[in-house]
Amino acid sequence: MLDLFYAPLTETYFQKALIGGSIIAMVAGVVGSLVVLRRMAFLGDALSHAMIAGVAGGYLFMKLAFGLEAHAPGMLLGSLIAAVTTVALISFVSRISRVKEDTAIGIMYTGIFALGVVAVSIFRHYIHIDLMHFIMGDILGVADIDLWVSAFVGAGVLSVLILFFRHFQLATFDPVMAASIGLPVVLLDYLLTTCVSLVVVSAVSMVGVILVVGLLITPAATAYLLCDRLDKMMALSALFGVTSVVGGLYLCVWLDSAGGGAIMLFCTLQFLVVLFVAPKYGLFFRWMRLRNLVPQQAVEDVLTTVLRNKKPASVDIIRKYAVQGKNLVKVLKRMTQDGLLTQQNQDYALTDKGYKEAHTVLRAHRLWESYLESIGTPETEVHSIAHRLEHLDQAQTSAYLDKKLGSPKTGPHGKEIPAKIP
Amino acid sequence: MIKETSFAIEVAHLTVSYNAKPALLDVNVKIEADQLVGVIGPNGAGKSTFIKAILGFVKPDLGTVKIQGTHVKNAKGRVAYVPQRGAVDWDFPITVREVALMGRFQKIPWYTSPRKKDRDAAMEALDMVRMTDFAHRQIGELSGGQQQRVFMARALAQGSDILLLDEPFAGVDASTERAILEVLERAKRSGKTLVVVHHDLSTAAEYFDKLLLIKQRLYAYGEPYMVLNEDLLSQVYEGKLKIFKDVVKKEEN
Ligand SMILES: Nc1ncnc2c1ncn2[C@@H]1O[C@H](COP(=O)(O)OP(=O)(O)O)[C@@H](O)[C@H]1O
Ligand SMILES: [Mg+2]
Repeated sequence: MLDLFYAPLTETYFQKALIGGSIIAMVAGVVGSLVVLRRMAFLGDALSHAMIAGVAGGYLFMKLAFGLEAHAPGMLLGSLIAAVTTVALISFVSRISRVKEDTAIGIMYTGIFALGVVAVSIFRHYIHIDLMHFIMGDILGVADIDLWVSAFVGAGVLSVLILFFRHFQLATFDPVMAASIGLPVVLLDYLLTTCVSLVVVSAVSMVGVILVVGLLITPAATAYLLCDRLDKMMALSALFGVTSVVGGLYLCVWLDSAGGGAIMLFCTLQFLVVLFVAPKYGLFFRWMRLRNLVPQQAVEDVLTTVLRNKKPASVDIIRKYAVQGKNLVKVLKRMTQDGLLTQQNQDYALTDKGYKEAHTVLRAHRLWESYLESIGTPETEVHSIAHRLEHLDQAQTSAYLDKKLGSPKTGPHGKEIPAKIP
Repeated sequence: MIKETSFAIEVAHLTVSYNAKPALLDVNVKIEADQLVGVIGPNGAGKSTFIKAILGFVKPDLGTVKIQGTHVKNAKGRVAYVPQRGAVDWDFPITVREVALMGRFQKIPWYTSPRKKDRDAAMEALDMVRMTDFAHRQIGELSGGQQQRVFMARALAQGSDILLLDEPFAGVDASTERAILEVLERAKRSGKTLVVVHHDLSTAAEYFDKLLLIKQRLYAYGEPYMVLNEDLLSQVYEGKLKIFKDVVKKEEN
């Protein structure tokens, strides 16, 4: 059993994949947090697709100019240039034409991706780029140079983000204020885009063009469901990135599957699990909360029932006039907890707080009745409609109705309209 | 040589456009210091744009904005601002305390983290708006009025002499509106100039010392009784004049 975990660790290819993948996933997680919060996810996709043109260009240039075969730094630089060009083209097109930004992104990244594919196939005798490798990535074939590149990229990007954390935080959260205290908002935008490009470019060789955007946003989105602070979100997102790589690599060895695919699959499963079980923003707890939620309407009905009863009311009376069914026990329990009711022997009485609220609802009810009568609602319907409307935000409606009706003292059939409690 | 000026904000020939559509056209106004000024006008009139221009966030096509006699470009951080509710991402992973701390960012050198005195100042600002109990809440978990107060705390923590607020009374109930107004008046008494975008004409005269009526261009600036004038309002709020007839009458009484 232990061997299942230990055996792969002795293999060099596995070690390299683990180290390289973890570095990139960690940095991608940190940058990805900002990408998610700025709604730039699409940009990550655009950058990775644009890369192939840059890689082809870099390869070709280094080969023709210096006779170097598959020169890694040259291809990296080419990718960065392609990425920045894409970003510039996107903002140019969406600014000067009526085409909106999402469409501009779609056009530009498919266009430049196509350019790269065509270039790679035309120059197939000069440049030896495996398109499949490019699209799917090859994390199990990580070369030493890739490791170095990812280490440098990781260290650089991480330093920038940590050093300027506050600036990125403010510029993302409130760009207007950021500009007003003199932060270079546009420069920060470019800096972040450069960081994203760097991470994307170094991640593509491992997980491939298609999956890289997932590595950027999925761990960040997972962390987003768990955190209420940006620094924690970044740290957790980095952690989820690393666990994705570790989990995915084992998955890939055990199942003998594609590396990039296994990593992203693990990453997505991780997200789904968190989506269900996250304490605050998860679906399970949300469902629990909804189940435990006591409808305000039921609360108000109980309040007015006890008020009209003029003395502590038994459960039977409340059941008759306010809430039927098994909900009642829950409602009464919650109201006692909230300090609206107190239990006296077997009966329920209003507390001061409960009395005040009951009074407010009753006042709203009587005002609605008067209003409905004044607009000619049939008498048989007045009570039931008023009963529904009394639950609308009373502070606003009562004030309005009171003014409109000229502050009446009594409603239909001479029922007293209780005065407002100051 | 420093030119002394009694004006907090001077706007001259301000013209701002988005995609060739002018949002503000030749706005000229000088706002005196120590005033509570209300900015009124219909939706899309350019009120938020006016605020953003004073902050130096939007670049004018023409015209200048001066803050206490200095060009806005060189007056970074002298104006604090409370954004419109709709302009804030309430799901952002940030706590009340961190938002207040943002008010101190311009005073913290880029190479250090916030120090104790910054954190204390942020808490003090939260105390001024009575929000210390909520310091560790995420900002989306507050009521509308509490959210406004957090951003007011941020603006107060900035320590600027000039505060701009974009619709602080939108979506809050009457008693919260009172509480916010209270904070504004306290800020004014401590010598600050406040410019507040406001949408409710019926309370405008009561709340503010001066009103600024805007719809693409400046229609009026002055004492409320001058600005809440039937002629002007009918020009600005075309067709909706009936509603405002009582407002004008109330003013005349
Ligand atoms: N970022 C923007 N891009 C394009 N048009 C904008 C932008 N911001 C505002 N506008 C337009 O400028 C006009 C004024 O907007 P704004 O200043 O927000 O008005 P107000 O705050 O008075 O409702 C509106 O017509 C609005 O559509
Ligand atoms: Mg606005």
